[in-house]
Amino acid sequence: MLSRRSFLALSGAVLSAPSWAAITQQNTGATLYASAYSLSKTEHFFGLFDKKGDVIWSSPLTDRAHAPVIHPNQSIVGIVARRPGFFIDFFDVSNNQRIQRIEPTQDHHFYGHALFTHDGSKLITQENHYPSGQGKIFIREWPSGNIVNVFKSNGVGPHESVFLNEDVLVIANGGLQTHPDNDREILNLDTMQPNVTYLSLKDGQVIHHTAHEQDLHQLSIRHLDVNSNGVVALGFQYQGELWDQVPLVGLSRINQPKMEYLPIPENIRVRFKQYCGSVCFDQSGEVLAISTPRGGFVAYWHVNSKTFLGVENCRDVCGLVATNNAHEFLLTSGNGKQLLNNPVQNQTVMVQNHANMHWDNHLRSIKA
Amino acid sequence: MNYFPKLLALAISTTSFMVSAGEWQGPLGGITNQVIKQGYSVFSDSSQQLQQATQAFCAAPSDQSLLQAQTAFQTNALDWQQVQWLNFGPVTYFMRYYAFEYWPDKKGVTQRQLRALAQGDPAVMDAPKFWTSASIAVRGLTAVESLLYHPDFTPSESATQCQLLQKVTAHHFDSANAVAKQWQEAKAQDWVFDEEGSGFDAESVALEQFLQQWIEHMSAVKDAKLETPIGYNSRENLKLAEFYRSDLSLKAIQRNLQSYREIYHVGSPSLYDMALQKSPELAQQLEEQLTKNIKIALQLPDDYFQSGRTQEERVELAIPLVKSISNSQTYLANLVTTLGFQIGFNSRDGD
Repeated sequence: MLSRRSFLALSGAVLSAPSWAAITQQNTGATLYASAYSLSKTEHFFGLFDKKGDVIWSSPLTDRAHAPVIHPNQSIVGIVARRPGFFIDFFDVSNNQRIQRIEPTQDHHFYGHALFTHDGSKLITQENHYPSGQGKIFIREWPSGNIVNVFKSNGVGPHESVFLNEDVLVIANGGLQTHPDNDREILNLDTMQPNVTYLSLKDGQVIHHTAHEQDLHQLSIRHLDVNSNGVVALGFQYQGELWDQVPLVGLSRINQPKMEYLPIPENIRVRFKQYCGSVCFDQSGEVLAISTPRGGFVAYWHVNSKTFLGVENCRDVCGLVATNNAHEFLLTSGNGKQLLNNPVQNQTVMVQNHANMHWDNHLRSIKA
Repeated sequence: MNYFPKLLALAISTTSFMVSAGEWQGPLGGITNQVIKQGYSVFSDSSQQLQQATQAFCAAPSDQSLLQAQTAFQTNALDWQQVQWLNFGPVTYFMRYYAFEYWPDKKGVTQRQLRALAQGDPAVMDAPKFWTSASIAVRGLTAVESLLYHPDFTPSESATQCQLLQKVTAHHFDSANAVAKQWQEAKAQDWVFDEEGSGFDAESVALEQFLQQWIEHMSAVKDAKLETPIGYNSRENLKLAEFYRSDLSLKAIQRNLQSYREIYHVGSPSLYDMALQKSPELAQQLEEQLTKNIKIALQLPDDYFQSGRTQEERVELAIPLVKSISNSQTYLANLVTTLGFQIGFNSRDGD
């Protein structure tokens, strides 16, 4: 809980943070992109870059981070620590100040992802209550960080969540029970039960949930995205053997009892090495992109027809975000590449290759 | 949009390839020709000998012919260890890599499927597409080991089991031979997936893939082959050791560790030579550690993975080797970075 003095100081800092529109007008592009990156094993940063790929703002971090969280209105960005995460650092981009660090409550850690509500008044995090292994959804007031609600995530290991609408959160309960004393060691490999849960943010009630058949219980549901039609795309990470023939990408809807698995040509599926990184719909919601850093490519589908469109090769790629153009994505990789790719037009443009930089797992766009 | 790696002809026609072509030619060529091509050639030959030995055994079953088949199996399984570090190129097609050795088979899938095949109509195995759709559990060395060593199988007394053994070894030889041939006719760069952007160098990317595979295999040797079965950090389960029925678990590790020094030293210049130029101290540290790995592994008793020792004794004996391989991992990872390769920032993060 913040002291009154700290709260007033923080409120002042937040109130003075300008809008994103004000920030982007000072720069060449109207869209910015946020990602953590590292220069070496010990040098970690959080940065924003413009559409030319130039880093226009950055701040050092104490450790490697995972996914950015963007305030919808003000020029405030946050970065969530890598799992098991114990901080989310928030920065005012306009003055390069770190304005807030939110830490989990006792016996909890973050999973690497967080999101603001549409009006920016609340911050939602997925957390692990590690003594019990129970997944939790925390809702905090912004900017105070005061907890206003805690809901069960309806599973273990809620890694990422997205809004279906203002009242419903879709949660990827990955199913992996871990304890920070053992870093990322999976404690329930034989019993894990991942699921997708549609949770009411009004009262924490489970509106709908869906899971794999029992023989796929080791198919961790880790990342997700939703399009404007309410189609939720899911990227899996299989915890079983590398040679097992399992689906790696799925679709879900709130009114659909079962997940659907998207087709992947077998010669491509094996290249995934059972691992999906980021999940992202394009601006139109028609095209789905899934990155696989282990496979070294991004795979694309036309969602309505469930047609596999192809892949774009890029070693160690993971960061993935839709640009303002239909069917177009921006990709970032662990070896410094920023690529624009349109799988429908078969166009790829190298934005920049920052050979000394390692772009971390997730990329977010900031639209002014 | 690229579905398949481009052929060499396409790769060398790009400007980007020409920019830095040649820089890594020494180690890449050395590893490709002297470790991989030669390794698969030897593996293919001993696969054929295994096939012939099982044919001879089934034609005239006896203790002597069984022993000859088992010896041929052991030779072939150890030849596999020379090339096992590389899951790249032709071995990735048709799941060949996992078919050559289905391990660890934690649920006994191989035995179950072999039993089903042995009880079924053997003619199904002659169907043109049988082996392309068959389970990887019954396509290679793990299945052959089961048929030759598992108490559930007595091919010397069962014609159907012997027929199954012959079919498996014939398919295994076909696969090994196909991989060997494909390597003879190609270069490592042929199996690199082309990427957009200037500065793409297929030669450098191919070597990067080799190094990544080497790092991952070193990790597997320490964790899956040594620590896991002996219960270094948890419960002992010797049945999880690689080829434990044929008592090749220790020899397999020894062979793997020997292959690492070859990877480091083949070619002109070799990786070692280039590392000496860049970082002499680190190059030497890795060199000494790789040699130390071999020496320590050779000092372990021949019956190390057999019952008759307590878990504590086995763990105690393993400590020097675990530490030595662990040091090698650190030196190799540092050296790879020093040489300018960027491996696995996201792909090895696992979240």
